[in-house]
Amino acid sequence: MTTTSLPRATHPRRRGAGLPITRRLAPYVFVAPFVVLFLAFGIYPMLFTLRLSFTNWHGAGSARWVGWDNYTYLLTNPAFWNSLANSAVLWLLIIPVQLVIALAAAILLDNAKLRMRGFYRTAFIVPFVTPLVAVAQIWVVLFDQNYGAVNAVLGALGLPDIAWLTSSAWAKPTLALLFIWKTTGFIIVILLSGLQAIDSSVYEAAALDGAGRMRKVWSITVPLIRRTLMFAVVLQTLAVFQMFAEPFVVTQGGPYSSTTTAGLYLYNHITRGDLGTGAANSFLLVILVMALSLGMVRLLRAKD
Amino acid sequence: MTLSTQAGERRRRHLGSHAFLVVLAVAFLAPVVWAVLSAFKPANDIIRHPLEFDPSTFGLQNFVGMFQDVPIAHGFLNTAIVLLVKGSITLFCAPLAAYAFAKYDFRGKSLLFGTVLITLMLPTIVLIIPLLLEMKELGWVNTYQALILPGAVDAFAIFWMRQVIAAVPDELLDAARVDGCGEFGLYWRIVVPIIRPGLAGLAVLTVMNIYNDFVWPVVVASSERMATLQVVLSTLASTISGNKIGADYATVTGELLAASTVALVPLLVIFFLLQKHFINGILAGSVKG
Repeated sequence: MTTTSLPRATHPRRRGAGLPITRRLAPYVFVAPFVVLFLAFGIYPMLFTLRLSFTNWHGAGSARWVGWDNYTYLLTNPAFWNSLANSAVLWLLIIPVQLVIALAAAILLDNAKLRMRGFYRTAFIVPFVTPLVAVAQIWVVLFDQNYGAVNAVLGALGLPDIAWLTSSAWAKPTLALLFIWKTTGFIIVILLSGLQAIDSSVYEAAALDGAGRMRKVWSITVPLIRRTLMFAVVLQTLAVFQMFAEPFVVTQGGPYSSTTTAGLYLYNHITRGDLGTGAANSFLLVILVMALSLGMVRLLRAKD
Repeated sequence: MTLSTQAGERRRRHLGSHAFLVVLAVAFLAPVVWAVLSAFKPANDIIRHPLEFDPSTFGLQNFVGMFQDVPIAHGFLNTAIVLLVKGSITLFCAPLAAYAFAKYDFRGKSLLFGTVLITLMLPTIVLIIPLLLEMKELGWVNTYQALILPGAVDAFAIFWMRQVIAAVPDELLDAARVDGCGEFGLYWRIVVPIIRPGLAGLAVLTVMNIYNDFVWPVVVASSERMATLQVVLSTLASTISGNKIGADYATVTGELLAASTVALVPLLVIFFLLQKHFINGILAGSVKG
């Protein structure tokens, strides 16, 4: 940090004017380690990739400028759209189920008179604490068609076996189950924090009006925690479109690319060494995710 | 409605609530409990009788085999090194930068903080390719610095700590200044003791994130020497899908469950010891209302 970058003490607009030099220097020193790391491993690689996405570079040798070729290649490639469609289907399988379960559990846990609340909350958050790769491994064993415990349970109930991991019809639901299992406790805790901010007098007024239980949830609770709900949806949308470790470990993207998510498809460019296309894919994904988040935030604002 | 029937109705309603919550709790705990218990069963029983548990047959064969076949101790060592260094950098740099954002005016502050907010929204996977290329340029592929430095100070930690530190009263800082306290001394002796609960939450969350990190380690440090615990675990998965037949499958399954159990335990222990900080950590980034 050089002194020339500091404001002159006589500058009228600066609030720091007249303060001792140590106090004016201090914030620059305090943010310096963060700024160095941020520029080196955040900003610089971003700009580098933007340039790279217009080349045919394969990680070595010289790069040739190819203009928009990488982008048109992806946008006209069925495999790229397939990866987005897979993520979209997973989103549809995950979000509604997860929100309903999490909301129901959070509302029940919000009741201070309920016993064993601590136990339930702990039990729900355990999956969130477990390492994803370890759990994905357990999923492979649990959902094995011939030897897995899940099919053993189905068999005990007199139901037929399901090819959880080896049929393209069931592979996505199996991954969706893993994702729901792993993250619902986290969503419950977030919704619970939203519920606890609601003034209980609102419910008492509704009880006087004779509103039933479901009605109270739908017309009072949900609107009051709308912002928390939207926050959860945005967070989970980002997570679903980045989903990587689950298909990487459990299904390797198969069968027949049915679980090649947007995140895994992006990774596959790296293993093929096709870094220019991968860079372009990164930016397309950034644009998509940004658009989705902003769209949802706007939806939220419009209703306010 | 008399008082007693009201109480009776409330009890029935609670019964319904408990039924739902118990089913959910069982569904959430079952896979972990099943895996940990099965890891102690003879390998053949795991696949032949997945739902039966006979404690008299329990033993450590799967664990013994796993420690022989899988470099899991080395994975733990790598994870511990990364955890220690990266965690220290995060816990030192992020709150300090957040302190500057919360309590000082300086040139470029709003631009810098605005960029922090934007990176909060960026999917992390997007940075993988650019960062990998940068590591190649630096010759850092398969090194500790590649595992440690990128992402050591993440935007969320700064954003969160800024909120926590903003709640510290300015009067306290001014009073300490009058007493002749230096600027770093203010942070170290006044701010840090006050924000200790927030720091504890950040610490727990940081440990969990680093311990569980997978995408970046598998891309940048997949060599046997550098593989972290999670990368070691993931290569075990490809072994299992390569050995789908008969006894081999049983052995691999047993060792795989043993490895998963060993990986689960440290985090679960931390979680049970520091549950309160943990949940505070989760809630910190959430929107209320």
